[in-house]
Amino acid sequence: MNEMTCTECAGWLNAYLDNELDTEASVRVRSHLEGCADCKARYEELAALRQGLRTGLPFHEAPEGLRQNLLSRLPRTSPAASAPRISREWRRWRMPAFSTAALAAAVLLYVFTPVREDRLEDEVVSSHVRSLMVGHLMDVVSSDQHTVKPWFAGKLDFSPPVYDFTLQGYSLLGGRLDYVGHQTVAALSYRHAKHIINVFVMPTNQSDAAPKHFSVRGFNLIAWRQNHLSFEAVSDLNAEELQALAVLFINQAH
Amino acid sequence: MQNQDDARRFERLFLPHLDAAYNLARWLTRSHSAAEDMVQESALRAFNSLHRFAEGNARAWLLTIVRNQSYTWLKESSGRRYVDIDDEEGLSEREKVQLAHSDTPENWATRMQDKKALEEALESLPETFREAIVLKELEDMSYKEIASVTGVPIGTVMSRLARGRELLKLKLRAYHE
Repeated sequence: MNEMTCTECAGWLNAYLDNELDTEASVRVRSHLEGCADCKARYEELAALRQGLRTGLPFHEAPEGLRQNLLSRLPRTSPAASAPRISREWRRWRMPAFSTAALAAAVLLYVFTPVREDRLEDEVVSSHVRSLMVGHLMDVVSSDQHTVKPWFAGKLDFSPPVYDFTLQGYSLLGGRLDYVGHQTVAALSYRHAKHIINVFVMPTNQSDAAPKHFSVRGFNLIAWRQNHLSFEAVSDLNAEELQALAVLFINQAH
Repeated sequence: MQNQDDARRFERLFLPHLDAAYNLARWLTRSHSAAEDMVQESALRAFNSLHRFAEGNARAWLLTIVRNQSYTWLKESSGRRYVDIDDEEGLSEREKVQLAHSDTPENWATRMQDKKALEEALESLPETFREAIVLKELEDMSYKEIASVTGVPIGTVMSRLARGRELLKLKLRAYHE
């Protein structure tokens, strides 16, 4: 493997920072950074900028009124009498979607697209979404694992492991009981940068399994099994950083 | 009733991404009320073309609509002032000199604490760079996803992010000087 020049390194630095390089390229960038103080300084400045942006920039959440308004516009059993203006708008938008060609194409797509959605994964994602939407993220609010863990005792017939990974960038927010796959499960909430992660823990009689990634409806899901417990971590966070949380869990249990 | 099935499917697929939609529209239009309008209109569009969405990345699909809607609004509201930025444009000689003179890590770390400066710096970037940074840093999207939302090749996403970050660095350094 030939040595990377500084110019070459500069060209790859952003992709390296964003975890978009394949293994070989990222190994080359890493080894160049180890031997080059200038590039290393440039990289660290970029990394600090990224961290600053992630923690400092405001994430503009949709106003509650907007959500309600949209919900009220969706067709219901009986048309909302209070919103005639709105239903006209829906119809206006509807027209172009009904050209025969578009409809035929839609039907074809619908019929021929394989839908891969495991029921449990789907349920876990729905549960994650619900927890965010109804503002019911936690039953017990604490970043202290020694408060959260005993809280589950007596409420579940298994004991979920509870860890706080604040030092590694994943802060424990708290825990709650949830219902997934016909059983009561433990849900642990974490925050990483702007993202909320729910980790669902439930007993299983299957053997240990390494983390596996799924993408369900725009969310990432990492599932693994360890010590007769099944874990499902869900978030809109990218798969790599979600996987990193799974690895923290697995290493902690060893 | 087909309509109710549609409504349920829409709720399931797109409502979870409403915050993402609003956030992108807000950063692009820089206006609270325009962002609300963009999301409303985009949601209507998404609803009406629901049949064309098979399965896949609902967030990217919704954000694509929001982004296009916002660009239309930007063009209309700024009239002829709207100019598309050439992505391949490199740094000017003056910028290169400014960037070469580097900050101490301590200085840089302090600048990173200034939330107001960060926000203003990003707001002042041209749209193409602003959206790339928002989708990367706030939405945590991969290059591939950003490429599909913004309708450009992955290589362009990479160069826009690189250039956007350089511009941010310049603006942040200039902020307190």
